[in-house]
Amino acid sequence: MPIDTSFGEENVSAARRIALTVAACAGVTLLATPLLGYLDLANIVMLFLLTVLVIAVKLGRNAAVLASVLSVLCFDVFFVPPRFSLAVSNIQYLVTFVVMLATALTTTHFTSVLRQRAQEAVKREQRTLALYQLARQLAGAMTVGQVLDIAGGFVLSQLNARTAVLVPDDDHKTLDPVQFHGGLPIEVHLARIAFESGELVRNDEVRAMGYASLYFPLKASLRVRGVLAVAFVEHADGPRDETLPLLEALASLVAVALERLHYVEVAQTADLKMQTERLRSSILSALSHDLRTPLTVMVGLADSLFLVKPALPPAALETAQALHEHAERLAGLVGNLLDMARLNAGDVILRREWQPLEEVVGASIKLLGTALDGHPVNTALDAALPLLEFDSVLIERVLCNLLENAAKYSPAQTPIALHARQVGSVVEVSLLDHGPGFPGHRRNELFNMFVRGQAESGRPGTGLGLAICKAIIEAHGGTIEADDRPGGGALVRFTLPVGNPPSVEEEPS
Amino acid sequence: MTTPARVLIIEDEKQIRRFVRVAVEEEGCQVTEAETMAQGLVQAGVRQPDLLILDLGLPDGNGIDLIHNLRGWSDVPILILSARSRENDKIDALDAGADDYLIKPFSVGELRARVRALLRRRSPTSESASPVIEFGRVVVDLSRRLVTREGETMHLTPIEYRLLSVLVGHPGKVLTQRNLLREIWGPSYSESSHYLRVYVSHLRQKLEDDPTQPEYFLTETGVGYRFQP
Repeated sequence: MPIDTSFGEENVSAARRIALTVAACAGVTLLATPLLGYLDLANIVMLFLLTVLVIAVKLGRNAAVLASVLSVLCFDVFFVPPRFSLAVSNIQYLVTFVVMLATALTTTHFTSVLRQRAQEAVKREQRTLALYQLARQLAGAMTVGQVLDIAGGFVLSQLNARTAVLVPDDDHKTLDPVQFHGGLPIEVHLARIAFESGELVRNDEVRAMGYASLYFPLKASLRVRGVLAVAFVEHADGPRDETLPLLEALASLVAVALERLHYVEVAQTADLKMQTERLRSSILSALSHDLRTPLTVMVGLADSLFLVKPALPPAALETAQALHEHAERLAGLVGNLLDMARLNAGDVILRREWQPLEEVVGASIKLLGTALDGHPVNTALDAALPLLEFDSVLIERVLCNLLENAAKYSPAQTPIALHARQVGSVVEVSLLDHGPGFPGHRRNELFNMFVRGQAESGRPGTGLGLAICKAIIEAHGGTIEADDRPGGGALVRFTLPVGNPPSVEEEPS
Repeated sequence: MTTPARVLIIEDEKQIRRFVRVAVEEEGCQVTEAETMAQGLVQAGVRQPDLLILDLGLPDGNGIDLIHNLRGWSDVPILILSARSRENDKIDALDAGADDYLIKPFSVGELRARVRALLRRRSPTSESASPVIEFGRVVVDLSRRLVTREGETMHLTPIEYRLLSVLVGHPGKVLTQRNLLREIWGPSYSESSHYLRVYVSHLRQKLEDDPTQPEYFLTETGVGYRFQP
């Protein structure tokens, strides 16, 4: 039931109301005329006032005003001597008329105010009830579609208006209409203004063209979650003032419901991601354990052949040595593959900490040890390098891979240079060797998986080392590239962003 | 050495036990083996070993619990065998009181070197007796709070000195960041690991020949530091 229709008043047409009023006044006159001999004129006035009161209650203000005037006229013409004339014999009856008219109009006024209050109270109660119901339904809604259906149904039943909801897309750039009720046309610019300002936008000019004229921002606790557009079709004169608070209440209920659904989704996604992550890391760690155990056994048992007493013949020891080397190389490859699987499987979890670069440089050189094969590493790190925020284990991995590559492809005993300096907002680390350099045309393909510089080279490798470096550096927000060293040799350069290093107070000494 | 050192190996993989045993026996030690954590704990109580070699991936429980349990009544050196993917286990084990670790696969040579280093600490002559520690061209006299390099007195700040004395007090032992932060700054600083790194860097600049390629104050990346005399 639309709340605009209420009581009986509007069901009775104006002409009928006038007729009823006139009839009532005539009836009272007829009723009172035979009593003229028995009642004082003052009491007959009371009968007329009673009539005005009844009309005010039953037929509203306008009818009651008419009744007031008619009553005074009837009283004058039919009861006050000389009867059947507007003339008055005694001037004091003028006071009676004035008082009678004033009393009738005052009664009319208060009665109609009371009537109006009562009607408003009933309307308010109905709306409150409807809002309670709406809130209950919204609380149970499981999808955005349900929320919009419930809200749309509410507006249609309570205000006989149509609605549409617009929500922003994922990057908050455009507003998309989620749902039309019968293809409600929407002025997207107005919706945009409402969305960005967080204020109600009202435009009665577009309403004439059939567009939605009210745009309510769906304000939730953290941000505006969308826009509710409302179009009034039935009322040519647009929405009434009292419907705005109702629509605002509706908008905030819808906003809260949308926000709730948003967080439910966020929580579900996070949960799913966590489960996937846990599964992936447990698979990788089981795989790693299962592959590493036999490799450990192979390396260890090959080594222990050297401890057999009496000593084995040299040929057997040579075999043992080869076994050891190949098992270790296999372990390295397995490590690379597992790392690549971990890095490639999506978000790399970085354990970033602020630290000086020199620390991880020193650790990498120490870790490689004999793998550097006698190549000295000349480090030149700028003294004023800031602390950098990185995952030390992974950056050590990068440096080890690059140093190992340099050692592998450089002529024996030639030095490898490692330079680092700050360039603007990044720290640039360069590794330079005296090897043959990179093949010019496919230089940057080298950072893809399973690509090697010299495909037929006798040197062992899978072409994963540089791909791992690239994945790690990019996860840190840096870049990596290969270049030719001026004067011959290879150059690999990578950058790490400087960020905002924490300050370290100097200790008073 | 008159009495051979007793070494307990707790490792579930038979072949790994086999070659570890051969390598350790080569160092002149007496070896006891245990396959599970429960067995290992019993053996550790009965045999009172001088060194414990512990695989972290035991089937019947967490090696870290074993270390906690053991550290309640014994300060036997513990060498951890760990797979690289279990980075956190390794750190937790060292935090709990393990002394050193080896990443699988490891060579017999590395293993023997670590065993030797850990057993050397057992003999009372090399450690604790003397307050003077020498490495390279540096002499640290803990009784006089004096640090010299090539005979020249080095000026260290109070925190640098405290860091130095903690590191040289545990030669060869891997000290985790958490351990060091707690020792030097107290528990409230355990989050500001960059302070530790900056002071280690100061120490290297004052005491190492080439601070970017240190010889004595080594970084165990992602884990902590080790003083290698």
